[in-house]
Amino acid sequence: MTEQKMETREDERKMDYSRNEGNTHPEYSPSLLIDRVANGWRGEVKTDSGDDREAGPCDLEDEGSCPNISRRIIRQRRSRRMLALGLLLVALAYYAWQAYLRPRMQQEWDLKEGFLPGRVNETYGIAHAGDFDGTRIQDIHPDLVPGGAADHKGKRRLVFVGDIHGCKEELLHLLSKVDFDPATDHLVATGDVVSKGPDSPGVLDELIKLGAQSVRGNHEDRLVQAAKTVLGKNVPLSSAADTSKGYSKDQVLLMELKPKHMHYLHDMPLMLRIPALPLAKKKGKHHIRDEMIVVHAGLVPHVPLDRQDPYFVMNMRSIDHKTHVPSALHETERGNSEPWFDVWGWYQERLDRGRSTSAFHVYSHAEWLENQAPNGWLGKLRGLLVTKPMRKLKPQVAVYGHDSKMGLQVHRWSKGLDSACVSGGQLTAMLLDAKGKTEIVQVECKNHT
Amino acid sequence: MRLRFGALAYSFVFFLRTAASTHGRFATRDAPFDQVREIPERSHQDADEDEPEKYFHESTFSMHYDGRFADKQLNYNERRSSLTALMQTYVSTMNDIGAETWIMHGSLLGWYWSRKTLPWDLDIDVMVSEQSIHHLANYYNMTVHTFSLSDRNTEDGENRSSSYMLEINPHYTNSTLDSVNKIDARWIDTSTGLFIDITTLRRNSTAQALGCPDAMMVKDTHHYNYDDIFPLRQSTFEGYPVQIPYAYAELLMEEYGAKALSEVYFQNHRFDPGRGEWMALRYAEFVRLRDEGVVFDAKFWDAGAICKDFGTCGNYRNPVDSVSLPASSGERDGDEDENETAVHSQQATAEHNKPSSGAQTEDSVLSSRLLEQRRRASQRWQA
Repeated sequence: MTEQKMETREDERKMDYSRNEGNTHPEYSPSLLIDRVANGWRGEVKTDSGDDREAGPCDLEDEGSCPNISRRIIRQRRSRRMLALGLLLVALAYYAWQAYLRPRMQQEWDLKEGFLPGRVNETYGIAHAGDFDGTRIQDIHPDLVPGGAADHKGKRRLVFVGDIHGCKEELLHLLSKVDFDPATDHLVATGDVVSKGPDSPGVLDELIKLGAQSVRGNHEDRLVQAAKTVLGKNVPLSSAADTSKGYSKDQVLLMELKPKHMHYLHDMPLMLRIPALPLAKKKGKHHIRDEMIVVHAGLVPHVPLDRQDPYFVMNMRSIDHKTHVPSALHETERGNSEPWFDVWGWYQERLDRGRSTSAFHVYSHAEWLENQAPNGWLGKLRGLLVTKPMRKLKPQVAVYGHDSKMGLQVHRWSKGLDSACVSGGQLTAMLLDAKGKTEIVQVECKNHT
Repeated sequence: MRLRFGALAYSFVFFLRTAASTHGRFATRDAPFDQVREIPERSHQDADEDEPEKYFHESTFSMHYDGRFADKQLNYNERRSSLTALMQTYVSTMNDIGAETWIMHGSLLGWYWSRKTLPWDLDIDVMVSEQSIHHLANYYNMTVHTFSLSDRNTEDGENRSSSYMLEINPHYTNSTLDSVNKIDARWIDTSTGLFIDITTLRRNSTAQALGCPDAMMVKDTHHYNYDDIFPLRQSTFEGYPVQIPYAYAELLMEEYGAKALSEVYFQNHRFDPGRGEWMALRYAEFVRLRDEGVVFDAKFWDAGAICKDFGTCGNYRNPVDSVSLPASSGERDGDEDENETAVHSQQATAEHNKPSSGAQTEDSVLSSRLLEQRRRASQRWQA
């Protein structure tokens, strides 16, 4: 109370003084500093006059605003270091994404896309497709399976050989290199055992003698079709000028082949199936423990074996990853080609891991009915417990030849054995024992083209 | 004076022309209407006066009909059965003659999908070899072959007799590309005017000179390799044994793209794998499936779902009973349930009630005889 009175008295005194003196200039103030202190501010009401817009956090005048705080932070060295580190991390993450993650995700999607309905209105495997005059799928004789019923000790072997193309010498050399014993070993060729090379009848004789099997390749197919028009008729052979180089060579070859050779060629199936080896361990990635299918060129994954077009089974090198239509070329004009074994391998890997394929294409009405997902959570729960999928899908290993440009291609789910023997490469054999272990053996070949 | 000279000149030129024609020069256009007419009162053949060198001509109302034998287009079902008969009689005759022929283009695509002509196809495409066309031209030009076709329409199994004419274009001897004479021969149904265009596969001498020894060509500017066509395969088409080019899948992909081997909704039709045939859809159904981006499998396997949506279940089963559809998808008509006919000139609203699912040629004995021949031929090399 007294302070207040004192203050007011001081104020009065000051005001009186200034009034009395008649001056308003601050430089003419009295010598005491304390007298210069005015308490007039107590009566002021703070207004934001003249400043209508909300400067808010960006107000440069305000000490606590963003730009001012940021400026203070940047001035500090420690924060500068942290900022640089942050930027570096971001750059690294972006680089990792672009160079590694994104291509892999893109590749994964590319491989998956063709299996899913709803992406495009088309898929392969629906049309009637071509005919095959012979056995489509043949199962290997059970006695020949390594570790099978006739081989409890597991001594038998299977020897798969790539495109031989009439190179008899190289074949004999290879057989001696693998110590082929007709009593315990069975030879399976992947087709194209004739044509192009020096001694096709000799190779056929050798195969018949060893009781070997082969699947039909595109060159055998040509011979079989040509035989229907050429053989048995007393017409002179057409020259290359009338027909084509390949056709005239085929005709010459047909003249050399005997009826038993023609029977052998005609009996070659389109696909040969070998069951899962009984003595192979059920777990493990480094041996073959699944069913094997031997074809000449390739197979389209997920399409049932009886729906595959025989022409493509004997000729394909790539498939379109969106529609799964195969092609004999490595790269088609449309530009969506993938090597068929990449898509095949992706699919088999998925089956091996047990992941579901219920969202994939189906190829019969019955399958579709089976796949109908029950609605609602109760239905789904029941579905989990009760469903038995119609097609028990197990992974398969494909053994093939035909693609000499790609050469030897050994992957987990596909084994390409054509290493261009007839044009001076190697002749390759893959040995399979009862435990599922594989071994690749090669011999050098002369150039016969 | 001038008039007389003009008249003299004109009569001299006229004399030359007639003299030339009687001196064995080949005809410049197809056989005159008066010599070959059957049912129509007058010729509907397009004169094509701007192309005097052109031998074969088409009708004024459609380029897939011969105007000397037809005055109107057929509807969807009639056309289908006539084309089937056309194919069967052609195959049967060529086999009897011993000519080497095989199916190509649209017919090959139909063979690939369903072993039948594609329902929206307006013609049949075949090829012959050079030796065959020479043989046909020398001995079978302007021959008429009569078949007795049993129509399943009529209850008493009445046979109708149908004649087919083989007409060879004299320009077949010319192996160079010719813009007006691309077709070397025609197999014409004289009762309906439909025909098969026959082209010859020739050696491509220009390409061979440039270093491609196996190049072949056709006068309609298609190019092939010898090894893509030969050796020919044996198969069946429309129930008859035919020959197929060797690399059929590649030829189809080159000509029509890979879509042709895999797309299942096309031209108002949908492939039914259960039946192995292309079934007609009403245009509205087709649009709905296409525009809604209907998931491939869902509707594809459940054909019944489509007809339930549109209340056309009774019609859906048998495409023959369903409405006549326009061949192209240009129709815009929202009232699908009521819409019974398409607007184009090829319709007859009354006809669609008759199921005419394919006429059979003279004998199924004939076709089995051909199949037997084929089988024996394939066994010959086993001797």
